[in-house]
Amino acid sequence: MNMTGVEGIVLLGAIGLIMIGLAGLFMSNNVFRMVLALVILESGANLFLILAGFHGLGIAPIFLSNHAISDAGHMMNDPIPQALVLTAIVIGVGVQALALALILKIKAHYNTLDMSEIRQQMEYDLAKNNDVTLPASAQSPDSLVRSKVICQAEQTQPDHIQAKADVQQIGGSVNG
Amino acid sequence: MDKLVLLVVLPLLAAFLMPVLARSSQVLARLSGLLVLLISITLVLNVWGEVDKQAISFAIGGYQPPLGVVFYIDQLSLLFALLIPVMVLIFWPWNRPSSIQEYSLMMLLTASASGLMLSGDLFNIYVFYELLAVASYGLVSVQVRQGQHPVVAWVASLRYLLLGSVGSVMMLLGIAIIYLQTGTLNLAQLSLLAPEALNNITGLSAFVLILVGLGVKAELFPVNTWVPEVYAGVSTRLSALMAGLLSKLAVIVIVRLLVLLFPQPEALHLMTVLGMLGVISGELVAWRAKDMTRMLAFSSIGQLGLVFIAFSLPGNIGLLAGFAIALHHLVVKPALFMLAGGWSGRLEKLSGMAQSSPYHVALFVLLAMSLLGVPPLPGFWVKLLLVMNLAVQTDPVYHFALAFMLLATVLEAAYLYRVVMLFYKKENHTHASSQHSLFDWITAIALAAVLLISVVQLPSVERKLVSMAYQSGNRLLYIHTVFANIGTPEARIDRMSPTDQAKQPLVSEPSIKEKAIKEDLVLGSAEQ
Amino acid sequence: MRNVSGLLFSGGLAFLLLVIATHLPFGQPLMLVGSDIIQASPHEVGSANVVAAILLAYRGIDTLGELSILFTAAAGVGLILGHRASQNVPPTQVKNNSGFISQKGIELMIPLLLVVGFYIIFYGHLTPGGGFQGGVILAIAFFLPVLVQSDARLDHNIISIIEGLAGAVFILIGLWAMFYERPFLQPFFNGLFAKGTLGELWSAGTLPLLYLALGLKVGAELAGLLATIADFSITETQGSLSEDDTQ
Repeated sequence: MNMTGVEGIVLLGAIGLIMIGLAGLFMSNNVFRMVLALVILESGANLFLILAGFHGLGIAPIFLSNHAISDAGHMMNDPIPQALVLTAIVIGVGVQALALALILKIKAHYNTLDMSEIRQQMEYDLAKNNDVTLPASAQSPDSLVRSKVICQAEQTQPDHIQAKADVQQIGGSVNG
Repeated sequence: MDKLVLLVVLPLLAAFLMPVLARSSQVLARLSGLLVLLISITLVLNVWGEVDKQAISFAIGGYQPPLGVVFYIDQLSLLFALLIPVMVLIFWPWNRPSSIQEYSLMMLLTASASGLMLSGDLFNIYVFYELLAVASYGLVSVQVRQGQHPVVAWVASLRYLLLGSVGSVMMLLGIAIIYLQTGTLNLAQLSLLAPEALNNITGLSAFVLILVGLGVKAELFPVNTWVPEVYAGVSTRLSALMAGLLSKLAVIVIVRLLVLLFPQPEALHLMTVLGMLGVISGELVAWRAKDMTRMLAFSSIGQLGLVFIAFSLPGNIGLLAGFAIALHHLVVKPALFMLAGGWSGRLEKLSGMAQSSPYHVALFVLLAMSLLGVPPLPGFWVKLLLVMNLAVQTDPVYHFALAFMLLATVLEAAYLYRVVMLFYKKENHTHASSQHSLFDWITAIALAAVLLISVVQLPSVERKLVSMAYQSGNRLLYIHTVFANIGTPEARIDRMSPTDQAKQPLVSEPSIKEKAIKEDLVLGSAEQ
Repeated sequence: MRNVSGLLFSGGLAFLLLVIATHLPFGQPLMLVGSDIIQASPHEVGSANVVAAILLAYRGIDTLGELSILFTAAAGVGLILGHRASQNVPPTQVKNNSGFISQKGIELMIPLLLVVGFYIIFYGHLTPGGGFQGGVILAIAFFLPVLVQSDARLDHNIISIIEGLAGAVFILIGLWAMFYERPFLQPFFNGLFAKGTLGELWSAGTLPLLYLALGLKVGAELAGLLATIADFSITETQGSLSEDDTQ
């Protein structure tokens, strides 16, 4: 393929977006940032897909007048990836909205956005409700987790204002 | 046959209308869902048997393939099209007060599952897979287990969602690569082009990307971290549905793509290795599990690994073994989940359970024996089939798989035996009691009855499975059926008669292998 | 450890994609099916916009699935955050501080947005645009007042009725074709829904109607999603505000 043309640059951009998104998902510990990384990842994939129909001198696949069908047809970009990307974008929006709703609820309950903390608290809750000791995968003695949870509860007071601001921030960024 | 599109459309219509109907009458809205499920079952039963000889395909909107989207119906997809509404009906949230949106989500789950099974278009499969995924994220965060705080389910759902979305993006990338390479999305046309266009490193990487995406639902080894959290957090009815049915749907889609698009042996080997890792890791963690639900969740990872090993066997025999194990697991695991629903808490708390509820424990022992493979239960026959066929392969990777599988069976026996021993422990002052709801108990009995009936009807079940394996393993039949109406030049292939092969039951292994070789020869000559 | 594996995985995938991309025909697409569709769609569908023809006619079932995904997400968000949130919200004590200009600006913008949204929906089969794009603009028109006036709320009842009915209409149009013994979602089945002349508003059979249903559904869905999330955030902050007041 011709890496020097427009498509080469856009392709590099798409692959870069995919890389950034994946790295963000793996390396970030903040759930909201993970969702943002997911958005970047999805845009990268969509860019990659829409590039599949791109054509050096292509025009938009819309017939402007009746008589030019055969002429215009040869010039057009492939319309199928465009339709697919439209579908994929809408799917992405739905998933992101669901993720955001879950994050809002979790934030309201655990008062943190940190993935490892959320996970630890969930494992603790799960074990408590099931009446079993924590599984070894949590890699910490029961007393440690318990004390951490209590510390969390004590810290809630000063963190309160900050938490509100965060909720608003999330809401605001959605609205925007 | 065009009517079968209603299997997808009617549940969607019901899902859209339910919240509107509920404003005037709650009862009507709730009944409409059940009505649609019953209509779906009737629709499938009406055409049952019509596809035994010849598979059928039809184009949505009348736009012929490869331009439009086609639905392809053979015995495999029809069987699952029947199983989906039946299982949804069985695992309907009968036992808890649910809001109308929850029913709506169940209907969307049904529609997407049916669409996934019937669709013959790569991107359409992606859309239905996503719908299935989003509906299950919603259900996981809503159908919380009794006594569990919903926040556990929310966290489990969020982690599941993040993993599933990454998988979906990978799958989309795989589809984009395939589209770039071939210029089409229709599975039949892709299958025609696959030997040249996809039998290379590009095709293999597309397969890996799609496998990562579909593997999330199929509980494939590296992407199954969501399993224990989700199954521990949600109600047992939903975990039974997810472990029993939804994981199998993803596996079936992978197998379809494997048969049609990816002929490379490397793809099969990859699946064997991932299956092996899944089996051993699942069973090892299940061995260490401290409560019943988690144990079953990890054991389901192990069983799915077994299914992947079976499907990775080359030829139709692999399909046969895979279908057998998948269907066996589809019956046994939900029944075990139903029983586990009443036995929450630490395993030690269940000590002496046999005194207070002997029937429940007896049923558990029966199901566990089938899961393990004790003759004459169906579990024995499916494991025997797999072991025999792994042993006759010449490729060393299958011998490793055999060793791993046997080791996993030993582990499985160890932890199931431990639980059974605990149940039958003599306790003088036992306060262990089961809290099974009547619905759960009836469901478990019904599933166990299916298991026992299949022991009696083993020959006919076997015949059905063999003919299903041959029909779905026949690439040319797929291509020919889809292009039957228009007759593209590429599709001008002599009509094969797949039914002759299917008529004979599975008598002995060599005859099947001979047939597989013969079929491969025919395939090769037709392509030249 | 996690960081290293993350970097390795993402870098590895990017490298793999780069290697594969050198073998793939970027810039010169094969268009095996694409060119067939471009040639056939003026005769088979009769819509000037080929992408619209693919979305609603050739791959109509994909679009139905995608509608359902949005619906599922909206239902899920409603279930998780709770639909009733809006009813329980006490009137805000916070003064409306969005200012005169944005207040008046909204009043001017809403009719314009509605016109543009509906234009994009109705001309979706002729010009760039369609149900999704127009639907998003409609959603903005409905949602703008919530952003600016702190006491404005969207009526969730009306939204859920619109989204349910619009989705049902999309399917019923498809089923209507089956009533005439045509395949599901076939756009032409009786005299009213004919192919028409390429480039005219009333052409391409049921495509404009399908796009209208689609646009209304997407608009209602997105507005509902945004409003539910906004309601939740407002109740959360107000709940904690009132707690602060009592302390």
